[in-house]
Amino acid sequence: MSEAALHFDYSQAKYSIRQDLPQAYREVWDKIASPGNWFPGQDRVSIAAEVRSAWQCDLCLERKSALSPFSVTGNHRSVTNLPDTVIDAVHRLTTDASRLTKSWLGECQRKGLSLEQYVELLGVVVAVVSIDGFHRALGIELEPLPTPNPGEPDQYCPDTAVDGDAWVPMIPPASANGQESDLYDGSKQTGNVISAMSLVPDSVRLLKTLSAVQYLKLSDVPNPSKNANRKISRAQMELLAGRVSALSDCFY
Amino acid sequence: MLRESSKLEGDKVDLKIITSGLDVDGGVPEEKALVDFAEAALGQDTQAISTARSNLEQKIGTDGMIDAAAVIANFQRMVRIADGAGIPLDAPVAMVTAGMRDDLGINEFSSASYTPAVGFFKRALGSVLGLFLPIMLRRMSKSAD
Repeated sequence: MSEAALHFDYSQAKYSIRQDLPQAYREVWDKIASPGNWFPGQDRVSIAAEVRSAWQCDLCLERKSALSPFSVTGNHRSVTNLPDTVIDAVHRLTTDASRLTKSWLGECQRKGLSLEQYVELLGVVVAVVSIDGFHRALGIELEPLPTPNPGEPDQYCPDTAVDGDAWVPMIPPASANGQESDLYDGSKQTGNVISAMSLVPDSVRLLKTLSAVQYLKLSDVPNPSKNANRKISRAQMELLAGRVSALSDCFY
Repeated sequence: MLRESSKLEGDKVDLKIITSGLDVDGGVPEEKALVDFAEAALGQDTQAISTARSNLEQKIGTDGMIDAAAVIANFQRMVRIADGAGIPLDAPVAMVTAGMRDDLGINEFSSASYTPAVGFFKRALGSVLGLFLPIMLRRMSKSAD
C-alpha cells in the first residue's frame, strides 16, 4: 500500500464524507510530496508546513492588522529551512493575499525567487489552504503532511506561456497544445483564474482535481444549472462562493 | 452566477448579500445558515465554526453541510490564486458586470486595481450584452442536459 493511500481516512470522522473528496485529496497529497518543476518534494512539503505555521505567525497577524502590510518588518514564525523569500511569500499568500502587489513580486524576483518558482509555490499553498480549510470547517484534525518523495525538479517551462495582464506569464487557451492540451479541457475560452497558474501546468491540474470535487468540473462552471448533484443548489453554492470572496476582499 | 442560477431556480436574489452579509435579505434558501457557516469557517474560532456547522446541518442535512464546507474550501483557494497571480477580471465579465460592481462596492477592494476601468462605451455595450446573458446561459443549460 502506498503512503498516499493511508492519508485522508475519514472512516472515524463524525460525518460520512463522500468518497471523491478523500480520493482527490490523496492525489493532491501525493503530488505535493513529489518533485515539481522547480522544487523537490522536500521543499514542497516544507511549503505546506509553512502554510500551517502562517496561521500562528505573529508577524503575519501584525501585518494583517496594519494599514499597509509592507510597513511591518520582522521574522516569520518559520518551521522550515526554506529561503526567507519563499517563507515570506508563503505566509503572505496564506494570510493576506488580497494586499499583495506587483512591486512586491518584483522584489521577490530580485531576491532570487523566479516567477516559475513563485507559481509553483502558489499552487502548493492554495491546495493546502483549501484542504485544511475543509478540515477546519468540518472540525476534523488537519491531515499529517506527506513524506517527501525522492527526485529532482525537471525545470520544465511551457514555451507557450506569454506575458499578459497578470503578474505572471500564462498559457492562453488557444496555445494549450501538446503536453498542455488537457489543461483547459480543449476549451478555447477559460477564466483568467484557471490559466493563472499555467506557467506551472501541474498547478492547474491540481486546481482542476480539487475544483471537481469541492465545487464543479471546470467545464460545468459557466452553466448556471449545473450543481454536480450536490445536496445544495447552484444558487446556494454561488452564495457561499461570493461571500467567501467578499470576506477575503477578492475582487475577482 | 448567483444571479443567473437563482433565476433558473425561480428565486429573486439581492446580490448585496455578497458584500453586506445578513444585513440584507438575499432571497437564497437557507441563506442565514449558509452565510453564518461561511463567515465562521474563514475565522479561527472553532466554537463558532462548530455552532454554525450544527445549525446548517439541521437546516439542510449532513450531506448538504459537507457540500457547503467543500465549496467554502474551494473558494479559499480561488481567491488566493486570483490575488496571488494579479489577474484582471476577464474582459467580457468586466464589461457586463461594471454596473453591478459599482452597486456592490467591490470596486473598492484593493485587488480591483488589477482590472482596467471600463469606459463609457464598453459599459454601455456590457449593459446591452447583459440583457442577453440569461438567454445565452439558458441555451447553454438546455444544450448541456
